[in-house]
Amino acid sequence: MTEPATIPDATPPAGLLEGDLVRRARHGDLTAYDALVQRYQERIYATIYHMTANHEDASDLAQESFIKAFSALKSFKGGSSFYTWLYRIAVNKTLNFLKQRKNKYHLSLDDLDANAEHDPDLVALISDKTPQRAASLSELQNKLNEALLKLSETHRTVVVLHDVQGVSHEEIAEIVGCNVGTVRSRLFYARQQLQGYLAEYLNPT
Amino acid sequence: MNPSESNFDELKRLLKLKRHEVPPPGYFEQFSAKVLFRIRTGEAGGSHTLAEKLEVEAPWLLRVLQIFETKPGLVGAFATSLCLLLMLGVLASDHPDSISKDGILAGLPAESQETDVTSLSAPTTAAATTLAIADAAASESGIAVSTNLVTSLQPTATLFGQQNPLFQPASFAPAGQ
Repeated sequence: MTEPATIPDATPPAGLLEGDLVRRARHGDLTAYDALVQRYQERIYATIYHMTANHEDASDLAQESFIKAFSALKSFKGGSSFYTWLYRIAVNKTLNFLKQRKNKYHLSLDDLDANAEHDPDLVALISDKTPQRAASLSELQNKLNEALLKLSETHRTVVVLHDVQGVSHEEIAEIVGCNVGTVRSRLFYARQQLQGYLAEYLNPT
Repeated sequence: MNPSESNFDELKRLLKLKRHEVPPPGYFEQFSAKVLFRIRTGEAGGSHTLAEKLEVEAPWLLRVLQIFETKPGLVGAFATSLCLLLMLGVLASDHPDSISKDGILAGLPAESQETDVTSLSAPTTAAATTLAIADAAASESGIAVSTNLVTSLQPTATLFGQQNPLFQPASFAPAGQ
């Protein structure tokens, strides 16, 4: 892909409320839209990445989601928050992509940050398994991603949004377009499935 | 805490590992610039597929389609009900009289039925009056006008030398000929 040009006369609208940024972006103000992209880029990228387990795919899809959101801003009525609306676009785009890709998965995982080795919860999970902590973490990372990919797209979406991204049940219902009860049942079923796939890592003896 | 939630404590702890997966350093510094660059080069106004348009403008329709995708039985039920409606429509068009008289007027009392039938025949009377006036005007001008139907049961010749029992061409011959 071609390297982007630097943004001319970009005055970052620091401190502006989301509603103001959306209004300005709707009138074609790219500076305001830049601020919105920067506000949500990490969350949108992460959601797509955790659903695809592939950095390159996630990168493309995240960019396309923002581009599509910009072109569709005029149809954004404000009935939900911009953030929920943006999430819906990203999730739908990813689900469509996954349907086209079907079951041909190719893992391209991001590296773990340095904090992972010091996370007490993770240390507790691996300390008994091997003295080589870094190697074990990376193995665990692979197994976890493979297990997630075994879930159906709809179940994976709910687990990623709730257990990884920390999105509430109500917001997930709005993003995915179903009721809260369905979100809860999908979450329960998905966790059960994952627990089965990852049993050896969850009960170290 | 919900007991079903506590069953998954260990799993949730393991899922925390996903939060430590991060893209290469500096990735997000370039991200918004790439997006804006693609918007400026015109990708935002580019053509969208029907599915993409629906996603934004009619997400409910997409949801219906998704339900159909996951529950094929519903598609069958929907198709069956559509066929039934179609058949009902065809039957109704085959017997319009029975529907107008038996169906619409069936529930009305006898007096009102008579009134309605009279009012239904009114246009026919008006049409006959119009034809009589036209006939009188034509006689004055010396042209004979037939008010007979164009179709008649008298047989007539066809292209292939056979008699067509149903149709006869209309004649507009001047009076006295």
